[in-house]
Amino acid sequence: MENIGLGLMLMVVGMITVFAILLIVIYLSQLLIAIVNKVAPEEVVVKKSTATSSAPAVIDPNTMAAIKGAVNIVTGGKGKVMKVEKI
Amino acid sequence: MEDIFVKLYEMTAFSNIIANPSFLVMYAIAFVLLYLGIKKHYEPLLLIPIAFGVLLANFPGGEMGVIQADSNGMVMVNGVAKNIWEMSLPEIAHDLGIMNFLYYMLIKTGFLPPVIFMGVGALTDFGPMLRNLRLSIFGAAAQLGIFTVLLVAILMGFTPQEAASLGIIGGADGPTAIFTTIKLAPHLLGPIAIAAYSYMALVPVIIPLVVKLLCTKKELMINMKEQEKLYPSKTEIKNLRVLKIVFPIAVTTVVAIFVPTAVSLVGMLMFGNLIKEIGSDTSRLFDAASNSIMNAATIFLGLCVGATMTSEAFLNWTTIGIVIGGFLAFALSIASGILMVKISNLFSKKKINPLVGATGLSAVPMASRVANEIATKYDPKNHVLNYCMSSNISGVIGSAVAAGVLISFLQ
Repeated sequence: MENIGLGLMLMVVGMITVFAILLIVIYLSQLLIAIVNKVAPEEVVVKKSTATSSAPAVIDPNTMAAIKGAVNIVTGGKGKVMKVEKI
Repeated sequence: MEDIFVKLYEMTAFSNIIANPSFLVMYAIAFVLLYLGIKKHYEPLLLIPIAFGVLLANFPGGEMGVIQADSNGMVMVNGVAKNIWEMSLPEIAHDLGIMNFLYYMLIKTGFLPPVIFMGVGALTDFGPMLRNLRLSIFGAAAQLGIFTVLLVAILMGFTPQEAASLGIIGGADGPTAIFTTIKLAPHLLGPIAIAAYSYMALVPVIIPLVVKLLCTKKELMINMKEQEKLYPSKTEIKNLRVLKIVFPIAVTTVVAIFVPTAVSLVGMLMFGNLIKEIGSDTSRLFDAASNSIMNAATIFLGLCVGATMTSEAFLNWTTIGIVIGGFLAFALSIASGILMVKISNLFSKKKINPLVGATGLSAVPMASRVANEIATKYDPKNHVLNYCMSSNISGVIGSAVAAGVLISFLQ
């Protein structure tokens, strides 16, 4: 009976602690987000120039051979490389 | 001549195996685990070393089985009772064999689980959690299975320490389960580790089963991205890189203040994550933590845990209770996460897919992947992976905190 009381107490204390800690982590993270947004400069996203992305990419023959080899192995010789594009 | 044959027979393991056929049951268990690990790919990185450890421990005369000290630290060495904590490591190696040396040095001291947590931290990305902070609370709800099974196990006659070690299986976190069991009920380490890792491997079976029982098709079709568009989040992260560096430091500090017993797990998890997020300056540390150290720790942990499963320690009703209780803990953890999402949906306009709750138990990232598969089965465009990762990662912190509470109250 004493152990059941201990089990119930652990259940209540344990769940409250887990919820409390995760709530603290959530609010702490929100606070950190606010501070970092204010203090640290924004990440600079480097945009690729449209000229290079629109131009067809030149694939090195060795790379092309490796890609073809990999496709051959994976598809058991049935697959064919039609086009290789940089995304 | 006959004498020589008798001596030869006694020298081999045959005499002991015939005298005590329970060894054969242990070999069968080891072979099944090896099959599951090698052929079925169920958590092979851990099940294979554990299974091999079981095999090694059960060859009579091999002295590879771990001898558990009683609560006072007493072990029988060649018929003489000795206190294991007063024996030097070379003495342990000499008198009890190399596996006991490894076990008492690496496992019983609680050294390896935090080291593995460091590796787990180095392999974890807290980005999805930081982007969906609201969802991380479901990582707390999913810990209910731990405490419910603790209560059920006490009712079944387990001591509170054994019940806590059994319940922690519901956290779905192998190192946490092992760490808690070492501290509270080391004699149950073998079956608890096996149950924890087996059920973690069975996440792709258990989650769909519980989800099918508790969720409707309509609920599973809740599209998180559409909900996000309808009710956009007010929090905008302008510099995720800096935030990811500050986060592990802040969380360690907070957890250390509130639940100091959880620091060895959460602290190491966050340290591993910090050296990952810093980037090139600590890339060598990150590489060591996530590869060589993690792999070495996994090998020794697996072998030593397997070696605790000697026939006399494993073949009893307690093990069966642990297997059943572990499943119950797992299923209840998933169910409580789902139910909390359902309750939250009653009061909120922004609906959440209950799969986010189902992944509140740890088992990162397998639980999230399984949840994503279920969601895309109902709607191929409904990818919930990122949202599930939020509760999944917070579940790791949640189960470590739960372990900390249990250790501080019961040790």
